[in-house]
Amino acid sequence: MTRRARGIARGAAALGCLLSVSCGAASGALAQAVDSVATEARPFVPGGYDDKPYLTGLFGRIAVGGYIEADAVWERADGVTEEAGFLLKRWNLLTSSRVGNRMQVWAEVEFEDGGSEIVLELAQIDLELHPAINLRGGMLLVPIGRFNLAHDGPRNPFVDRPLLATDVLGSALSMPGFGLFGVVPLGGEARATYEAYAVNGYHDGLLLDSPDGTRLPLGAQNPEDLNASPAMVSRIAWNPGERHELGLSAYGGAYNVFRMDGLDVDERRSVRVLAVDARTTVLGLDWNGEAAAVSVEIPSALTGLFASRQAGFFIDVTRPFGHGWLRGMPEAFLSAGARFEAIDLDRDVDGDSSTQLTAGVNLHPTRGSSLKLDYLRNRTRDRFNNAVEGAALKLSLTTYF
Amino acid sequence: MGAWRTRRVTAGVLAAAVCGLGLVACSKLLTTAPEAADLFDSPLEGLSAADRAAFVEGDAQFARPFSIAQGLGPIFNNVSCASCHSGDGRGRPENSLTRFSLGPDPALHLGGPQLQDKAIPGAHAETVPAGVDQSLRLPPPVFGMGLIEAIPEADLLAHADPADSDGDGISGRPNYVLPPEFMAAHLPTGVPALGRFSRKAQVSSILEQTVAAYHQDIGITTDFLPVENSNPLASSATQAADRVADPELSAAAVRSVEAYLRMLAPPAPGGQTPARERGRVVFGAAGCAGCHVPAYRTGAAGIPALANRDVVLYSDLLLHDMGDGLADRRPDGQADGREWRTTPLWGLRVMRDFLNGQMFLLHDGRARSVAEAITAHGGEAAAARDAYLALPESDRSALLDFVESR
Repeated sequence: MTRRARGIARGAAALGCLLSVSCGAASGALAQAVDSVATEARPFVPGGYDDKPYLTGLFGRIAVGGYIEADAVWERADGVTEEAGFLLKRWNLLTSSRVGNRMQVWAEVEFEDGGSEIVLELAQIDLELHPAINLRGGMLLVPIGRFNLAHDGPRNPFVDRPLLATDVLGSALSMPGFGLFGVVPLGGEARATYEAYAVNGYHDGLLLDSPDGTRLPLGAQNPEDLNASPAMVSRIAWNPGERHELGLSAYGGAYNVFRMDGLDVDERRSVRVLAVDARTTVLGLDWNGEAAAVSVEIPSALTGLFASRQAGFFIDVTRPFGHGWLRGMPEAFLSAGARFEAIDLDRDVDGDSSTQLTAGVNLHPTRGSSLKLDYLRNRTRDRFNNAVEGAALKLSLTTYF
Repeated sequence: MGAWRTRRVTAGVLAAAVCGLGLVACSKLLTTAPEAADLFDSPLEGLSAADRAAFVEGDAQFARPFSIAQGLGPIFNNVSCASCHSGDGRGRPENSLTRFSLGPDPALHLGGPQLQDKAIPGAHAETVPAGVDQSLRLPPPVFGMGLIEAIPEADLLAHADPADSDGDGISGRPNYVLPPEFMAAHLPTGVPALGRFSRKAQVSSILEQTVAAYHQDIGITTDFLPVENSNPLASSATQAADRVADPELSAAAVRSVEAYLRMLAPPAPGGQTPARERGRVVFGAAGCAGCHVPAYRTGAAGIPALANRDVVLYSDLLLHDMGDGLADRRPDGQADGREWRTTPLWGLRVMRDFLNGQMFLLHDGRARSVAEAITAHGGEAAAARDAYLALPESDRSALLDFVESR
């Protein structure tokens, strides 16, 4: 057996083991598998909550940071200008605080669209029992796919987030919850990570508040579980190296209020999501992609108008270049990339879908900042399957601070 | 080396700037608009700026989908006006509405006169009761309604011949309908008005059509009809499943949709060709123009752009017996179960563009081509149909080309 084959076999075995953990069967065998410090030193989610350029030492044990995104947009559909203007899309404050050796608090407050929306996107307490077994509670980033866990503007190679994340899943998707996460070294650079939480879950706003058919984002804000029925979500990821990752996520839970005052008042209807994500570097190109399938149980009197099945994917390819080209900006480099994505918001009809191609060039004055210029071309189909051609030019200036 | 890099970066920046300017200059890269004449949702020419503003507002209301939290239901057919009228044109069979009644009785106690087959959670959708007369109706196009409304009543009546006194076999008659109570502020109560709209000309005004569609099709109460439409065969508890306070839509919003519909222009017909001109002549000679009257002229109108204009709609807007094959055996106003309003022949040229490449003709969309639709004609149109079928192939093709160019 070659060394690579052994690594794959060990990875597969570890994924199987982690699946059992995410189902709630904590395993003592995990503790025996932990033998590497190097893999623990890597961020749990590269580009995510523990991989930001925090300012430290300002307030004792509290580290502070943030990021900002300012956009200029020119959007047209079928030759008609839909939007031409400027937007302070996000100004986010990030904090982390180590409370003793084994406890850490992370938080992110987001001011969106010029402050018209203020969201506590993340506020979680982590308690380390063992590197492979950590307790987490609070307002969590829901681990459906990788993008939801690592979606900051300075790290996203394009101005917009993928349609799969925004229109299908509702990213940034955070919910109150409680559960376990951990890292399992697999030897060398390889490791596996898992997250498994019970969360409040989507609520029936995905039907009741949506004028356009089933829309999960409209059922995402559930600060108090409206149906007293938690949902389960988990993601396991295999990292054969720092630049490579394969993740698998699953979500399931009831979204409607089916019991009140002890009485059954409706059928129990669920949302289920299955997502797969991957990233790698091949031939100097960074590849990143994600796909998800959604299944929603719909009342029979709404079938035909509200989707019971949705799906989508995106794939990004980017290449950094030009390090050191700019005089006076020694850290600066350029990158170029493209994204192809498609979403189908109702798989039971021919229309209600979108495809989009984005091409972009970025100037990165530092590793944590970007000046992005994107050209987008998309085709959106209504429920009659009639197509609308859209295009946009988008400029964004974003940086961590 | 440093100077070389600087030059290279400068060149790169310049190239990017040129590309950016190129994008800006080349509007094709940011999509191009279709011709207004090829659309179902273009405004009439000659509207004032204020009317255009009202048009845009009404367009938004027409397209606005309602969520359950905004008042959709409790029983309904679809979530917005635009959800049934593709691009403001006609719908597809899957958007069809089922109308039912017991003879002339609209069967309100059974949920008539329209089947609402969708319901919000907690409510019960309707099913077609046993023993009723039912009729499938494809949503009709909504453009050109203002022009139809502006045609003087006397001009329409001039084509009526209820007793077929001229002996041509065509006996078009008007459908006089009693306006519903909510129209009392706009039309005299108890006085029948000339029906001009819908499949059996059973609707006399754009406002009435708009209010009824919100109420029946979307389950939205308005200042005009503030009481929910509910399933009378369901429990009173489930009838109250829609807990949004009524009325759910203001009179102003309804009136903006009414104004929008009034100002929608019909698409322009296709260009003239010798074959089409031949087809037009054959169309008249075959007797089609006996009901499909080529043109009227509008009279005075509140909106100047509607006044004193030719309306080339190829319809007399009157009721005709269309024979057993098309009969739905369901009366509507004074229209009996064999009668239908002559359908205007406009928008056919671009219909396929809004129905995913297909055509759905006649009241229930059963005909997938103009030829099929003509062949399905019967009753008063039987003679014209037979004349069409007897035409030489070249004349038949010319006639079809002419009709499809409308």
